[in-house]
Amino acid sequence: MYRRDTLPATNIHLMKSIRLHEISGSPPSTAIVIGSGIVGAATAYYLGKRGVAVHLLEATAPAAEASGAADGAVSVASKRPGTMMTAALRGVALYRDLARDGLLADLYKTRSTFIIAASQAECELLEKHREALLDAGVKAVALSRQALQKRFQVLSPNALMGVEVHDEGHAIGYEIVHRLVKASGAFVHRDTPVREFVEAGGRVAGVVTPKGVMTADAMVIAAGGGSANLLNLDNVLIPRKGQLLVTERAPALNRAMPGAIMSGRYLLSKGSQKGTGALPSRGLGLVIDPLRTGQFLIGGTREDFGDRQTNDIDAVRRILLAAVDLVPGLADVRLLRSFAGVRTAVIDGLPLIGRLPGRENAYVATGFEGDGICLGPLTGKTIAQMICGETPEFDLSDFDPARFMAGKVAA
Amino acid sequence: MNERDVIVIGGGPAGMAAAIEAALAGLSVDLVEQRPTLGGAIYRQQADGGTSPVQSKMARQRFARLSTALAGISANMRFSSVFLGLDADGFVLIENRQIGRIELIRSRAIIVATGAVERILPRPGSELPGVSTAGGLQVMLKETSRAPQGRVLLAGNGPLLLAVAAQLIRLGNPPAGIVEAGDPLRAAALSNVGLLSHPALLAEAAVYLKDIYRAGTPWFRGTRLTRIEKVDGALQATLCDRHDAVRTILVDRIGLHDGIQSNRIGLPAEQTRTGSAPVVVRAGDCREALGAVAAEADGRRAGLLAVSLLSGIATDISVAERAIARQRQAQALITRSFMPVAGGSHLASLPDETLLCRCEGRTVGDLRQLLDRPDPISDREIKHNGRFAMGLCQGRFCASNVAELVALLRPDASKPTPDGLTGQRWPIRPVSIGALTRAAPEDNCED
Repeated sequence: MYRRDTLPATNIHLMKSIRLHEISGSPPSTAIVIGSGIVGAATAYYLGKRGVAVHLLEATAPAAEASGAADGAVSVASKRPGTMMTAALRGVALYRDLARDGLLADLYKTRSTFIIAASQAECELLEKHREALLDAGVKAVALSRQALQKRFQVLSPNALMGVEVHDEGHAIGYEIVHRLVKASGAFVHRDTPVREFVEAGGRVAGVVTPKGVMTADAMVIAAGGGSANLLNLDNVLIPRKGQLLVTERAPALNRAMPGAIMSGRYLLSKGSQKGTGALPSRGLGLVIDPLRTGQFLIGGTREDFGDRQTNDIDAVRRILLAAVDLVPGLADVRLLRSFAGVRTAVIDGLPLIGRLPGRENAYVATGFEGDGICLGPLTGKTIAQMICGETPEFDLSDFDPARFMAGKVAA
Repeated sequence: MNERDVIVIGGGPAGMAAAIEAALAGLSVDLVEQRPTLGGAIYRQQADGGTSPVQSKMARQRFARLSTALAGISANMRFSSVFLGLDADGFVLIENRQIGRIELIRSRAIIVATGAVERILPRPGSELPGVSTAGGLQVMLKETSRAPQGRVLLAGNGPLLLAVAAQLIRLGNPPAGIVEAGDPLRAAALSNVGLLSHPALLAEAAVYLKDIYRAGTPWFRGTRLTRIEKVDGALQATLCDRHDAVRTILVDRIGLHDGIQSNRIGLPAEQTRTGSAPVVVRAGDCREALGAVAAEADGRRAGLLAVSLLSGIATDISVAERAIARQRQAQALITRSFMPVAGGSHLASLPDETLLCRCEGRTVGDLRQLLDRPDPISDREIKHNGRFAMGLCQGRFCASNVAELVALLRPDASKPTPDGLTGQRWPIRPVSIGALTRAAPEDNCED
């Protein structure tokens, strides 16, 4: 695919095949997906299922960025009411399907999310959020302090009230990416950053990489922070660092937790409910997820100015203080690992998903901030449907990249 | 905040020598040692404080000299304290196990002298109770001055097996045998006249061999231990010699050892530019595993280097460097003498069920399956999806074996490194969450 000298001939051939597939509504024969985080991997998987030969172009390695350093929540609980909450509901349902089908059977853990309020302000916020969840059709049950103590015995008495959001789940980002890439049959080109596009008559005919030019019928840009350069979106896509922690196995405490904990503060840090004032530049939103290995995943920060993948004791200590405050038993567990990653966020808080304006065969899917694990498979499926001329099963118009790119020409 | 000039991590020969040099130059020095006493693994002290008679006379003299010099300087000793890493803000994280709290220390320079660890090749059955490392047995001998009960088999590769055998003999329980993959006698006779220029080494070897010969301990050279099984409450070891002849031997305890390697899991990278981030220098076996004599010289070199980096005044490290070069030459000769003679790679011939990673229970077969794909996966993918180097030992046990096996299984792709598998994240050892919540800069420690 890398032969620069044969590019014109290949192009002619490709043009024919594109026209054919547009006339018949059948899938294209080849696609390039740029970026092998969870969104790229899922897109490759659903394209592969439709018989499309996919080349995954990856600047470094699969799940090397946000997907490999995510908290793994497959969750509606924290989403902002509106499109994001609706999308998350569909995203969670798709994980359930993929687990039932067998593809993710051993990787997806179904569990409740318990949003916990530890102050009067958080109680009020939580009650408002529960109403939004109910409106969206989510099973969200309010638990008084007493009910909470009974249902969740390892929780500290500091918990004033809680909302149990049922039928949520957890998935480790890098495991999902690995499984999807393998099942997609796609060839992964590691250490292959895309420098620019090869444009031809309103199409992106190919991409320029350090190893040569590659061409395909359809293009998908799912490159997280790397998408900003390619699409001239430096002022639209912003990095947001997160620090996370993993403990050793603590099976007894793990079993004693009927679900994940999300502190009411998480809603604040994420801005899930508005009217709570300006967000701090370094927010701390506590989540504690009992993993299927018996370990715990504890997170995390949301930092505007940190683009280093490093951990600092100040953040780690504050995360752990908050964790022990809600689950005192964690004090006796050992921390095994700290890690950090950079999420790619969009300035208006909604991802970019859809066709690239002015380009018939190119699509973008990025900017999920902390929701990529939850929404990745749904996004990949929807993009694949669009590429293959099917009616997308989910309406993505709120995420249309045209809102930032109208009339703009990609790099 | 109270910033010191140098913090030395590790109280073995390299750390002690580095602390001495830095303090002699007038720098303020803290020395962090995870155990309650100095000496490191090589000069490990008895639990009651004395030096065990199993230590050689020369080793005892070297340690006494370092101890005396260290007593003459003013270094702040921090015992029972574990180095957890260097955080993004430049704090040195120390777990003080005496008070169960993390101390945050600012230092202009960090000298990391965390020594060496044993290399242990995987073998079917090496996870069975009664199987340990030969170095682990040796540390026990040094601490207790008592030999373990029952029949002991020492197996693997390298001179340490002979040292442990001689120490077991001295304590009254000669081993049932020494299984050595190389054939040092033959190699030495054939080509290693170079060893003659290292009389101290030869003298040490002669003492061990004399004891072993007198005790009648069999030394199976050119032989590999290929499998361990539990049979009638004992351990049955299968030995395979250079002609593929197989025999079994029944014992109660097995000490494995396949060489020495730097202990550098998770350590911060060297950083010799002065600026806002602290200078980081590695010293001794964790930089290059060359043994105690070289470690002491390298500790001096690192101490002098830190002095010159912090003060801007040039120091002379050439004497130390010459001593290190001489030890490097000696180690190369030893390595050549002990080169395994049996044909084929031990790692490549392991059956699928062999445990590679004890913490997460991952096998050689799991790794083969992970690599069975057209595109070569990255180090981090091997780690994440194979779960290698992700368990409690954080890769200390498996990372180098996994890296080497990956290179054997896909010779055309880039060779992974143990560091690439483990990464450089803190904490470099598991640490209590309770202790982390009590983390505080030192000066605010009083509650």
